[in-house]
Formats: sequence, C-alpha cells, structure tokens
Amino acid sequence: MLILLAVWQVSVPLIGMTPYFYPAPSDVLAAFVDLARKGILPVYLADSMMRYFTGLVCGAALGVGLGVLIGMHRKTALALSPLLKFLFAIVEVAWIPIFVVWFGYGIETIVLALIYVVFFPVLYNTLLGVRTAPQILVNAVRSLGAGRWQVLRLVILPSALPGIITGLRLGAGFAFRGLVFAEMVAAKTGIGYLIFEGAQSQQTARTIVGMIVMGLLWLAIDQFYLRPIERATIQRWGLTVDAAERT
Amino acid sequence: MTPDPATAAIAPGRRGTGPSRPMRRLDAATLGTLPFLLILAAWWLLPYVVEYPAYMLPSIGTVLDYAREAIADGSLLRDVLASLARLTIGFVIGMALAIPLGLAIALNRHVADVFRPVLSFLQAIAGIAWVPLTIIWFGMGNGSVIFVIANTIFFASLYNTVIGVQSIPLALHRAVRSHGGRGLALLTNLILPGAMVQILLGIRTSVAYGWRALVASEMIAGSNGLGYMTMEAVQWQRTEKIILGMIVIGLLWVAMDRAVFTTIERRTVGRWGLLQR
Repeated sequence: MLILLAVWQVSVPLIGMTPYFYPAPSDVLAAFVDLARKGILPVYLADSMMRYFTGLVCGAALGVGLGVLIGMHRKTALALSPLLKFLFAIVEVAWIPIFVVWFGYGIETIVLALIYVVFFPVLYNTLLGVRTAPQILVNAVRSLGAGRWQVLRLVILPSALPGIITGLRLGAGFAFRGLVFAEMVAAKTGIGYLIFEGAQSQQTARTIVGMIVMGLLWLAIDQFYLRPIERATIQRWGLTVDAAERT
Repeated sequence: MTPDPATAAIAPGRRGTGPSRPMRRLDAATLGTLPFLLILAAWWLLPYVVEYPAYMLPSIGTVLDYAREAIADGSLLRDVLASLARLTIGFVIGMALAIPLGLAIALNRHVADVFRPVLSFLQAIAGIAWVPLTIIWFGMGNGSVIFVIANTIFFASLYNTVIGVQSIPLALHRAVRSHGGRGLALLTNLILPGAMVQILLGIRTSVAYGWRALVASEMIAGSNGLGYMTMEAVQWQRTEKIILGMIVIGLLWVAMDRAVFTTIERRTVGRWGLLQR
C-alpha cells in the first residue's frame, strides 16, 4: 500500500502530466483538507448516509413483508412471481431515468432506486427462510391451538430470520453501489455527486477524494454495522454467507 | 446459503394440497398473468382518470409505435449489439486478469499478503465510481464503459477464484503430490479443474454485476448502447424511449440468464454432481 502511494507520488513529476489528468497524492490530500474545512465533505457525507439508510430500511421492510406474504400464501405466490421475476430483470439503474422524469433530480429518485435494489435480495432470502421453516413445527404449534399470527410469530419469523439477515447484507452491498450511481446522475449533494462534479469541473483531485471516502465509508459500514449484525445472528445460528455472493 | 436470487425461483411452495396437476398449471398461468394485465389496464386507464402532462407517461400505443420504428430503422438493434459487445469485451478482460491473479493469491502466501490490502480497498470503491475518472482518461465511449465492466467483473471473479482454489480438499493435494505431481502438472490436473466449478458458478453473479455496471456507465459515459439510449431520452422527454429501453433491458437479461447460465450450470454442476446450494 505504502509502496503504491510512493510510486504514485514519484511518478507524477516523471510523467509530467497536468494535475487535471493525473493528480498526485499530495494534491488529493490538499483537496481533502480543503473540502473538510469548507464543511462540504461532512454535509455530503450526512446526505449520502441519510439517503442510504432510508432506502435500506424501507426496502428491507417491504421485502420482508412481501416475502412472508408470498411464502405463506400460495395464491399470492402464483400471482406475483412472474411479475417479480420480470421486475427483477430490469435492474435498478434502468429505472433511474424514468424516476428522474417523474420525480426530478433529488432525494425521491435516489431513495426509490435504493428501495428497489434492497427489496429483491431481501425478498428472495426471506422467502427462502419462510419456505424452509420446518413443517413439523408449524403443525405442532397449530395443533396446540395457535392461529395464523401466532404461527407467523412463533415459527415462521424466527426461522426466516437468518435468510432476512443474509438478504439485508446482500442488499446493503448492492445499495451502496446504487447510491453512488444514483447520486452521480440525480443529485446535487452527496459522495457520488462529489465524485462526478469533481471530474466535470476538472478538479480531479476532488474526484479521487470522493472515491477514497466512498471506499472507506463502505469498509466502515461493512465493519461496524454489517459484520456485527452478521456475527450476532447468522454465525450464531451456524450459517454463513455464500462465497459467491460476498463481493 | 444464499442461492442466486434469479435461481431461487419464487415458484409456489410445495405445501398444501391443491387440485390435480393440469388444473394447477392453468391456475398458475392465469394468476401469473393477472398482475401484468392489471398494470396494462391501469396504464391504459390512467390518462382518463388523472390529468398529467403527456411526457410523464406515454400511452401504450406510443411506446409500441416507437418500438416498431426503432426496430425498423435498426437503431434498437445497434444499441443492443453495442451494449452486448462491450459486456463481452469487459468480461473477457476481467476474467483474463482475475483468474491468474486469483490462482496466484490462493497458492502463494506472499502474493496474497502483498495484494490483499490494496485489492480489498479497491474493491470497496465500486466500479461505477471510476466513471468520472475514466472519462478524463479515456474520454466518453467504449474505453470508459469497458474499464468499468472489466473492473466490476474482475473483483467478483477474483474472489470466486480464490475461494475455488481454497475449497479443494487437502487430501486431493496430498494424493496428487504423492504420485509425483508438482508444478504445472499440479496446476492442470488439480487446481484448475478443482477451482473451475466455483469460477463458473461465480460467472453468473459477476455478469449480473457487470450488466448493472454496463447500463449505469453507459448512462454517464456512453455514446451509444441501451443505457445511453434511456438516459439521453430524459433530456428530450422522450419517455416512450425510456420505457422501451427498460423493457429491452429486462428481456435481454432474462434471455441471457436462461441461455447462458442455465447451460453452464447444467454442463458443470449437473455433470459433476454438485448441487447448487
């Protein structure tokens, strides 16, 4: 890492390109200090995080709700599965242009796109959890006189919880990428906008500051927010996230 | 334990006793088309109920007319082909870099120690965040888009390659070694075939990421292609163009998923007797 930085710094005068095309680490550091001192960076960070978590929570709630409904009700599953499959195929980025037409540039467009991204992984994994709820337990609780809601609360939800957490984790990863992209095309603040605007106004150092902040932000979210949840739930129940989906 | 969302069919559960088989299938077909019909009906009726500017939601007829026009003059086909070509090139570059590096990281601890911190940081910078920078470096168009796709696919596949090698049972390593296999023989007889399953399975996920990256980066940095087509239409308020683009993007993904990945899975997972978890 240090070697890479050193090579980067030394190579700049050697190649002799304009800082617009190829800024040095010192330029990036200066841009970072500048952005932080002017208060732009904290504001953008707060905006991004607000959008991100709003989208995450709403999308997850929707996914869990519909997942439980579809998992428990056969008719709903039959009716909705083709539509959901089709909607899943239209990736969220493809919705952004039409959201822009409908809602303009701003928070609605971004949050909607994020809800859309988070919704599907949570839905599918919730569904999987509901489906794998042991029928024996359902029967047992039923024969003890439990109603629909009690079955849901006592058997279905607890057994779907690992799936829900897995879905949330996947969704969080997709959503972060979605956030950055949505902010590039449809926002006037935020980290994604910083990255985009920096390049537009030929302040490439700012773009790189944005990229680095974004990378650190994701590592922080992953480390302090997602990993602990995972540790507290999935690992305790002896389930781990599948390798292929972790990227 | 997370099957690919696309594979985890949300087909009805096996619970409950329903009517006989053919009856049930008919049921599924009618029920499944119902939401589509409802949406189409709502789309058709909406202008009569609420008043809104025509550009917000063009009528079904307008979209169909535009579709006919775009197919007839070949512009739709050109955009589709341009997008698919970029995806292919990005995919080839990404895989060509990811597999050797992944093998090296999995097999050699020093390589792993050197690369891991840099790579895990670069991985956190999502592919799409590179677009503004690549526009400066490569200009608008192919270069930028392909860079982003290759970047996205590289990280997804790298991880799968490493996992694939690490999942080879130690007993097999010892078996090959004790028969005198080493160096190249070890690589071609054990490592590559052993890791291949995971690599191939991972292709589906990485192409899913690549596909998003493609559409997204074309919207910002493209000069043609499906993403460019939809984003450019926003400026001219040609909403019918956006809707057509979205439908094509959806259909294309379904087709790709069916044609490519189901085949891969049948050829590999089925043949080697591995069940997808």
